[in-house]
Amino acid sequence: MRRDTVCKIISNKQAGKFFFEMKAEWISAAKICAPGQFFMINIPGVFLRRPMGVHKIEKKTISFLYKVAGKGTGILSQMKKGKIEILGPLGNGYDLNIGSKTPVLIAGGTGIASLYCLAAAIKKKKGILFYGARSRKDLICLDKFRKLGWRVFISTEDGSKGYKGFVTEMFEKDLALRFREKENFSSYYIYVCGPSPMMNAAIKIARHYSLSGCVSLEEKMACGVGNCQGCSVLIDGQNKMVCKDGPVFYINQNL
Amino acid sequence: MNTKLNINFAGIKLKNPVLTASGTFGYGYELADLIPLEKLGAIITKTITLEPRLGNPQPRIAEVESGMLNAIGLQNIGVKNFIEKPLENLKKTGVPIIVSIAGKCGKDYAEIVKILNGFKEIAAVELNLSCPNLKKKIICHDVSLTKDIIKRVKKISKVPIIVKLSPLITDISELALSAQNCGADAVTLANTYPAMAIDIETFKPKLSTIKGGLSGPCVKSMSIRCVYDAYQKIKIPILGCGGIMTWQDAVEFMLAGASAVSVGTASLISPKNLIKIIDGLENFLSVKKIKSIKEISGAMKR
Ligand SMILES: Cc1cc2nc3c(=O)[nH]c(=O)nc-3n(C[C@H](O)[C@H](O)[C@H](O)COP(=O)(O)OP(=O)(O)OC[C@H]3O[C@@H](n4cnc5c(N)ncnc54)[C@H](O)[C@@H]3O)c2cc1C
Ligand SMILES: Cc1cc2nc3c(=O)[nH]c(=O)nc-3n(C[C@H](O)[C@H](O)[C@H](O)COP(=O)(O)O)c2cc1C
Repeated sequence: MRRDTVCKIISNKQAGKFFFEMKAEWISAAKICAPGQFFMINIPGVFLRRPMGVHKIEKKTISFLYKVAGKGTGILSQMKKGKIEILGPLGNGYDLNIGSKTPVLIAGGTGIASLYCLAAAIKKKKGILFYGARSRKDLICLDKFRKLGWRVFISTEDGSKGYKGFVTEMFEKDLALRFREKENFSSYYIYVCGPSPMMNAAIKIARHYSLSGCVSLEEKMACGVGNCQGCSVLIDGQNKMVCKDGPVFYINQNL
Repeated sequence: MNTKLNINFAGIKLKNPVLTASGTFGYGYELADLIPLEKLGAIITKTITLEPRLGNPQPRIAEVESGMLNAIGLQNIGVKNFIEKPLENLKKTGVPIIVSIAGKCGKDYAEIVKILNGFKEIAAVELNLSCPNLKKKIICHDVSLTKDIIKRVKKISKVPIIVKLSPLITDISELALSAQNCGADAVTLANTYPAMAIDIETFKPKLSTIKGGLSGPCVKSMSIRCVYDAYQKIKIPILGCGGIMTWQDAVEFMLAGASAVSVGTASLISPKNLIKIIDGLENFLSVKKIKSIKEISGAMKR
């Protein structure tokens, strides 16, 4: 059950040039929370709570992997010990029941944080990660995915590592190649998380190649529990709240 | 049962003077797992219209210094869907239910009230005449329209009518007085303040609608002023609203003349804040040895 509580900060360490990973002790949340769910974190010094997807679930702790993106996450990165107020777990989480399909993750920027949690949860299945960032300095979690035994394809916008361009371009080229070679990719089940333009591009590609899967959306939200309706988006002509009906939506829904 | 916090607000008996503010507590029953709803003075629902409304495009929320902007645009499921499920769930909470409603004209408002009249569990209706997030202008800026709406609704409503006004007005006490003269049973002062913010990186407005409504601690002192001004002129009770984060804020509104308060943005940050405010008020009365919360309404000394 979701709760609004105060937890102990276990650690909060730099995890890449622009990233930090905070571990908080919260046994009951660790028991019930699932990849793709998120929490609203109270950061003293900014007004609204900040939404953060769960990155790692251990026996007694949950962790967040976050980019220092502005004032709130800047303050958060300096909170090395003590207590922190958190509300959650919130939202629906990724669909893990994909039968014999191959999980294919498409991550842009901070999207890697929650997608790693998913990969760790389905660790028996080895999947494929397409991961894009601005430059090599922005790339994180690569060793974690390799440890899981996943195949990893990287793109950077400045070409400092891997394919030069957007992750969705790289993914589409891969699909096109497989298509030409008459390779079967109908077993792909894609999970997408990243900035909205990237997600829109990924959805288009998925539809073009009739792939099934889901995306985790991000919108500004004030409450995280459906009360303010700040994060509503239109899906199939209907209002859906990213915080409550999502953040994960199926690609065959009319996003 | 402690009765120090009991009040009678415009004929509605309330356990305590702390209400949820419209649009910040959903349809009212959804957070039963997070806070004990039965502790609330009353629940004011999201504003409901005759037909469902999709609301505005993204982005609808922006954070500003000590507050937030919103441009939800009255997204709601419409009165027919409301009475089917949310109202049924709300009834089970046992908390007095106040339904907030909006429309374009007196006929719209009256039609919704006609439907709501069928439900004896509804304790009152709040007329939202002050939403800043519609393409048309704010209703209460049109005084004759405002009067027409209140009169029409009063003619048919079986429950007290609370009129929620916009603070963006030359003299709020005049408007509150005309609401009283049209038969309003109480006024809510005040709704959000029309405001805007711009992203200096992208040069784009932070809300899709450019302008939205400002709420939170940054509006508190202005809304207290609204309550104070109106209190000098009107006899009907005032529901104070705007930037209440703590019990101290609630006391301040009451000293200025409010009989009860509604809490919005604070409950978005943590729904627990509602309960903390109620408990804080109770403690305040004990410490100050005040017998009833009623004694502090309008008790500011000069
Ligand atoms: C469901 C969900 C899960 C998320 N998970 C992660 C995660 O695992 N790791 C991570 O690094 N980031 C994640 N984010 C994005 C993260 O919430 C923002 O980067 C963060 O709120 C920025 O706050 P700030 O004060 O540093 O930045 P500012 O730009 O100063 O924030 C100003 C306001 O905008 C909001 N905001 C800014 N960027 C975003 C954004 N991308 N999405 C939503 N709101 C935003 C803030 O919450 C705040 O209200 C997630 C967002 C959502 C909605
Ligand atoms: C996200 C949001 C949605 C709101 N929706 C409504 C609404 O539907 N009807 C209404 O009368 N007021 C609405 N309001 C205004 C609040 O009820 C309240 O009057 C205002 O926010 C000031 O109080 P606060 O500072 O405690 O939030 C909304 C406010 C917010 C922040």
